[in-house]
Amino acid sequence: MDDLSKSSMKFFSDQQLCFADILLPHEVQVRIQVTVLNFLNILSSPDPAISDLPLINRKSSNSRVSEGILTDVSWIFLSHSFCSRSLMKANATKAFIRVWKVMEMCFEILIQDKRVTQRELFYKLLCDSPHYFSSQLQVNRTIQDVVALLRCSRYSLGIMASSKGLVAGRILLQEPNQEAVDCSACGSSGYAISGDLNLLESLVMKTDARYIVVVEKVHAIFQRLAEDNVFNQIPSILLTAKGYPDIATRFLLHRMSRAFPDLPILALVDWYGSATRTKDLFFQLSHSSISKNPAGLAILSTYKFGSIGMGLEAYRYACNVKWLGLRGDDLQLIPQQSLAPLKPRDLQIARSLISSRILQDNYRQELAVMMQSGQRAEIEALYSNGYDFLVKYLAKKIVQANYI
Amino acid sequence: MDISSVQKLCIHLISSAVQRCRLSEDLCRLSVVLKSSPPIIRVSISDTGTGSCLEEFQDLKCNREGIGTEKWGISDNKIYHYHLNLRGSVSARRLTRLPSIPKNDAKFSGTEMLILKIPSVAAELLIERGDASGLQCENVFLPNECSPSNFSSSNVERLKSGLEEYVLKHRNSLNNKCDSCFCSRGKLKISSGVACSMESHRSPGLIVEAVIAISELSESLCFRSSGNKTEVLHFKDFSPSSVSIASLNALTSIDWRSYGLTLVSAVDQVDHALIEWENLPPYLHIDMVIHCYHKQYPTPCSTIQILVITYPGKYKYQPDRHLIRKGVKLALDDLKEKHTGLLLSAHAVKICSYAPDLASSIAGIILSSNDLKFRSKCSSLLELSQSQEIGKQTVEDRIKEKIISVIETNDRKPEKIKEAAPFLFEDDRLQDLDPADLYLEEHEGGDDVFSFPD
Repeated sequence: MDDLSKSSMKFFSDQQLCFADILLPHEVQVRIQVTVLNFLNILSSPDPAISDLPLINRKSSNSRVSEGILTDVSWIFLSHSFCSRSLMKANATKAFIRVWKVMEMCFEILIQDKRVTQRELFYKLLCDSPHYFSSQLQVNRTIQDVVALLRCSRYSLGIMASSKGLVAGRILLQEPNQEAVDCSACGSSGYAISGDLNLLESLVMKTDARYIVVVEKVHAIFQRLAEDNVFNQIPSILLTAKGYPDIATRFLLHRMSRAFPDLPILALVDWYGSATRTKDLFFQLSHSSISKNPAGLAILSTYKFGSIGMGLEAYRYACNVKWLGLRGDDLQLIPQQSLAPLKPRDLQIARSLISSRILQDNYRQELAVMMQSGQRAEIEALYSNGYDFLVKYLAKKIVQANYI
Repeated sequence: MDISSVQKLCIHLISSAVQRCRLSEDLCRLSVVLKSSPPIIRVSISDTGTGSCLEEFQDLKCNREGIGTEKWGISDNKIYHYHLNLRGSVSARRLTRLPSIPKNDAKFSGTEMLILKIPSVAAELLIERGDASGLQCENVFLPNECSPSNFSSSNVERLKSGLEEYVLKHRNSLNNKCDSCFCSRGKLKISSGVACSMESHRSPGLIVEAVIAISELSESLCFRSSGNKTEVLHFKDFSPSSVSIASLNALTSIDWRSYGLTLVSAVDQVDHALIEWENLPPYLHIDMVIHCYHKQYPTPCSTIQILVITYPGKYKYQPDRHLIRKGVKLALDDLKEKHTGLLLSAHAVKICSYAPDLASSIAGIILSSNDLKFRSKCSSLLELSQSQEIGKQTVEDRIKEKIISVIETNDRKPEKIKEAAPFLFEDDRLQDLDPADLYLEEHEGGDDVFSFPD
C-alpha cells in the first residue's frame, strides 16, 4: 500500500524532478567519457567551439516541494533549471576548469576502484593544481558542480563525505563479516556513523526501541543522555550529526525509518542557533562544513525535507521527523536569565523558514511566537532545573506525545 | 639658416607639384634634383603636371637672405622650373645615404613623399654631388624597389606598399630592404583600412586611409629599435601634413585593449604623432600611416576663375575623429582577421593562458581510460594516429592547439555576432536558462536555510 501510494503520488512531481542517479563505478566512467567525447566533438567540428557546461541550479529558485499527501513525508527537490558555465567568461574561467579537474580526479579514483573522502580529494587537488583550488569549500562546491553536470550522486563519483554522525541506544548494528555492535554499550560517544554509504546500506539493524530521538548537539545533550542511559528509561535510539546533518547521517536515519516504520522520529533542537563555541566550530571546520550556526529548526528541516545544496540527492533521505522541543511552551521551564536576545542572523533564518512553502502551519505558528518573543534558548538551559531534568523533560514530552 | 623652414619650403613645393600631377590625368613625372656645388646646394623640383598659380608662392616667407627664387611664368602646358638657391653650410644639407652616418637632421621630405606613391606619378630623386673629382649624378631613390606595384592599384594599395618599403628599409635609413631583419616574409604584417565620408553639397567626400604595419623581429639586429613607441605619419591630400587634433583624439579614443595593446600617450610631434605603448613585447614594432584626402580633386585656380578657391586642396572640411578612428579600426581588424593570434585582446590572451590546464585535464581522462574504443574515438577526433603509443603530451598539445585556435577565432569576431557556445549535453528537459553564473569565485553561498552544502 505504501509503495503503491508513493508511486502514484510521484507521477506529477516526477516530471519536474531532476535527480542524480546512484550508479556503479563503471557507469560513471562511461558518463565522464561521454562528456569528453561531446567536448572533443564540438571542438573538432566544422564550426568549432568550446562547449559550455550546463549545471543544474542549486538555488531556491529551482527548488520544488513534493507534498506528502497519502504519505507523510514531504521533500524538497530540484527541477531542471540550469546555469551555463563558459570558459570564455573572465570570472568563470577558473570555475570551469575546476569542474574538469575534479572530473579527471574522480575518473582516476573510479578506475582504481577506490573511494576517497572530500578532505583527501582537497589535498590531492591542492598538490596537483594549487592555482585552482584554495579551500575545502571550493572543492566541495566543485564536487557538487560535477554532480550537477553528470547527474550522478557524489558517492557514485567515489567521493565520501566524512560523517559526523553518532548513534547510541537500543540498536544493534552489524557490518558485514563483523560482530554486531550494541550501541547502548558504546559509552557516551556512541557508534560513529561511517561516511561510506555502501557500508551503511549493508548494515544489519536490530532494535527494540520505541522511539528515535535526533539530537542537535553532542557534548551537552547527546553525551549526557547517553551517559545517563536514557534509552533504558525510555526505549530509544539516539542519533546526532553534531549540528547540520551530513548525507551519511540522513541516509542512516532514513534506513532506520524504512526498517522500523513504527518508530516515531523526534527531534530535540535549540530554540534558534546556539552561541558559537570553539569546540563546535573546530569540529565543524575540520569536518569541512560551514559553521553558520543554523537555527535548530533549520537542522530539523534538513532531516525532514532534505536540502537544496545537495538537492539532487538529498530528497531521497527525507524522513518524517517530529519536533519535540524546544518549542514555545518549553520557555516557561527556562529561567529568564538563560534566555538570550535574538541575533540578526537568527531573524534572517526565521524569515527564510517562515516563508518556505514546505513548512507546515503549526511550525510556522511556533516560529511566529519565537520571532515575537525576540529571544533564544539552548537546550542546555534546561539544566538549570537540575542535571536529571533533561531526562524527565524528554520522558514527559514523549509520554504526552507532545510533539508536532 | 633655418633648416626646418627650408624643409617646409621643400615640402610645400613638392606638395604643389604633387597636386598638379594629380590634376593631370596623364602619367606625370616628378623630379627632385639636388645639385651640390659647395657652398651652394641647388634643389630643383620639377613636374609634368598641369595648372599652377603664382599665388602658391605668395605665402612663402622668404625673408632670409640668400634665398632667391627664379620663376618663369609660362602658360599651362609647359614645364615650370623653379629653382631655389640655398646657401649654407654644406654639411648641414648633405643628404646622408648610409645609416652609419647618423646626421639625419636634414631628413629630406622626399622620403616621406615616396611613401605615398601617388598614382600615375613616377617620382625620382636625383642627387648630384660635386666632388673634387667632378660631378656625379646618381639616382638615389626610386619607388617600387622592394615590391612591384601594379600600375592600376588603388590609392590604399600604394600606401600600403609605400609603408612596407619604408619599414623594410628601416624607415628609409637604408637603401634597400634590410635582409637581416626581414629575411622571412612573415616578419612584416601589414594591413589597411579605408573609411569614407558621404559626399554632400557642402562638403566633398573625404577618404581616410590607414595602414598599419607590424614587424615581429626576434632580435633587433639593426641600429635602432623604436622600442615601445610608434610614429604615426600623417598625410593630407598626398602631402605630408601635421597632426590634427581630430587625429590625436581618434588615436586616444580607440579601445586598444581589444587588440591587446595599452596606450600610454599619443602626442603631437609636429610632423608625426608619437604613440607610446605600455608593455609592448620587445620584439614587436608597430608603424602606422594615416592619409586623409578628398575624393575629388579640387580644380585649380588657373582654369576656373569663378570658384573662390585660392589654393589647391584647401577645403574647410576636415575629417573628424570618427572617420579617422573608423579607418584605423578597420586596419586593425583587417590585421587581426588575416593573421591568427596577432593583436589578441587582453581578454583572449588571459583565457588562452588557461588552455594548457584544461587540455591537461581532458588528456588525463583520455589516457587514464581502459576503454580502447573510447581512446581510439578520441584519437580520431583529435586527428592523431591510432597507434597505442600516443603519449599524454601529444594529446594534450593537440587539444591545447584546438582550444587556442577557437579562442583566437572568437576574438576576431566583433562582439555582436559572437554566438553562445553549444552545451555539452543536449537535454530537452533542460529549461529556464539562468543567465547569471551563480558560482563565481567569490560567491558566498545562498542565505537560504536549505542551501548549506555538506
